[in-house]
Amino acid sequence: MSLRKIFAKTVTATAQKDPRLVVIVGDISHGIFRDMRELHPERYFNIGISEPAMVNVAAGLTAEGLIPVVHTIAPFLIERSYEQIKLDFAYQELGVNLISVGSAFDYAKLGCSHHCYSDYSLMAKFEKANILFPGSDIEFQVLFESIYDNGEINYFRLTEFPHQTQFEESQIEFGKGITVAEGTDLTIATTGASLQIVETAAAALRESGVSVEVLYFHTLKPFDYHLLKESVRKSRKLISVEEIDQQDGLYNLALRAIAGDFKFESKQLAIKDFIRIYGTYKELSEEAGLTPNAIIEAAQNLLN
Amino acid sequence: MVKDLNPYFSMNKLRLRIARMIASGGEGHIPSSFSIVDLIYSVYAFGLRDRTHFKDRFVLSKGHGAAALYVVLAEFEVIPWALIDNYGKPGSVLGGHPDRSKIPGVEANTGSLGHGLPFAVGVALANKIKNLDERIFCLVGDGECQEGTIWESANIATNQHLGRLVAIVDWNGSAAQLQPIENLKAKWTAFGWDVLECNGNSLESIKSAIGGLDFDSTSPKVILAKTTKGFGVSFLQGHGEWHHKIPNEEQMQLLERELSI
Repeated sequence: MSLRKIFAKTVTATAQKDPRLVVIVGDISHGIFRDMRELHPERYFNIGISEPAMVNVAAGLTAEGLIPVVHTIAPFLIERSYEQIKLDFAYQELGVNLISVGSAFDYAKLGCSHHCYSDYSLMAKFEKANILFPGSDIEFQVLFESIYDNGEINYFRLTEFPHQTQFEESQIEFGKGITVAEGTDLTIATTGASLQIVETAAAALRESGVSVEVLYFHTLKPFDYHLLKESVRKSRKLISVEEIDQQDGLYNLALRAIAGDFKFESKQLAIKDFIRIYGTYKELSEEAGLTPNAIIEAAQNLLN
Repeated sequence: MVKDLNPYFSMNKLRLRIARMIASGGEGHIPSSFSIVDLIYSVYAFGLRDRTHFKDRFVLSKGHGAAALYVVLAEFEVIPWALIDNYGKPGSVLGGHPDRSKIPGVEANTGSLGHGLPFAVGVALANKIKNLDERIFCLVGDGECQEGTIWESANIATNQHLGRLVAIVDWNGSAAQLQPIENLKAKWTAFGWDVLECNGNSLESIKSAIGGLDFDSTSPKVILAKTTKGFGVSFLQGHGEWHHKIPNEEQMQLLERELSI
């Protein structure tokens, strides 16, 4: 099942139990919300192509004690509607669940208007926002259920290309990273879909005798600084791999985590600029330098 | 339905309060506040039912007219006058734009234009979901009607049949001296709203418009209120230098003379 379908299923099941939950979509995903629409037509709204007003309307719902789940494509939900998130939610201390698809460049053939690399950066500006990049079904389900009603701003970025690593429910905890593999020579930290290429690269590196520690962060805010710091304290070598604007993200979080306490070498693999080509997700990943080979090359440079 | 108008009440009293508050606090928009104070007073006097418990709501979308809202809240004993006296001083909860977390009766933190109306649409939608009959009033400026979110909201409100939502446009001609957005009646009508008109600086006229609202209709309603920016004091009127200016002592004397009851 796609992450988007699990999202609709989880939200609909939660709405069955919680009469405060209201779903607002911006001309997207109506098909997968058919059950919600049939079961609770009074709590399902397709607001259409009016993203800033859609986000703004949701704030009015929250002010009246409801719990909105607002869903559309990442660039329109976060970048286009940023002032609404800033003033109508963050400034007014109102909570919301913002759930995007299409980030970072999942809509690979649609061009940069449908890409979004800065969602993490923008949402991270708000002290009380939580940022989650679940990379598999179980992660979304567990994380959404555990925080949707916390009264805070919860931003979930759903990937169209989930990683294939299977986690147990018990491994998934909001705000905590997961040690996917233990190792001592090198730490590779990643989030969301990128775990897939990290796992491929880590397997190859292990073949050549490198002891690789893989850390996975479905939650970027609040960030599990301790896990990352202790891993790098041990390995003194870090590669961060992320579908996030290079100005922000995991690499910056790592610098904050370590905060000059010890020396380490590092390499950041992130998005540098608009990815202007059209192609498959894989082809755009290559253009962005987010591939197993790029990780292996970075590892070899750090280890030599 | 509509409460009686106190024939002895003079709005100049509230205008004087606004001017003194802004002069002593050193921040605020006097002409914009004078433009809307009759409208806000009327919403509280004739529009809101059970205003002390906030059954019905009022959202000030053009937040820079906050001073007018503050004095009306004090006049209706929602907040104490002491808060008005302390405006702009250390520890004041009243700012140049309203903050819902600090002031009872403030529904939304506005300031950036085009946010209050969609917020009010959300409040109205929430009350519809909960099967409540709350009435939601929201005051926007005609200049603010240049913002895209106003028309996004207008379309959403019509399609969600938010018949208990009432927008009031403070039509003081701000837009006309920028990018004119005239024939507002045709625009709101085209968006499916029931349109009423009034003189927004006359309590009798506003009262009559509020009394004419048909809450049995599922269409959202808009009252187009013709106003004068700076109404009540000759030299404040219009769209000139007084928009965001603080009067000095001499100017305050002139202002008080014109507002003397």
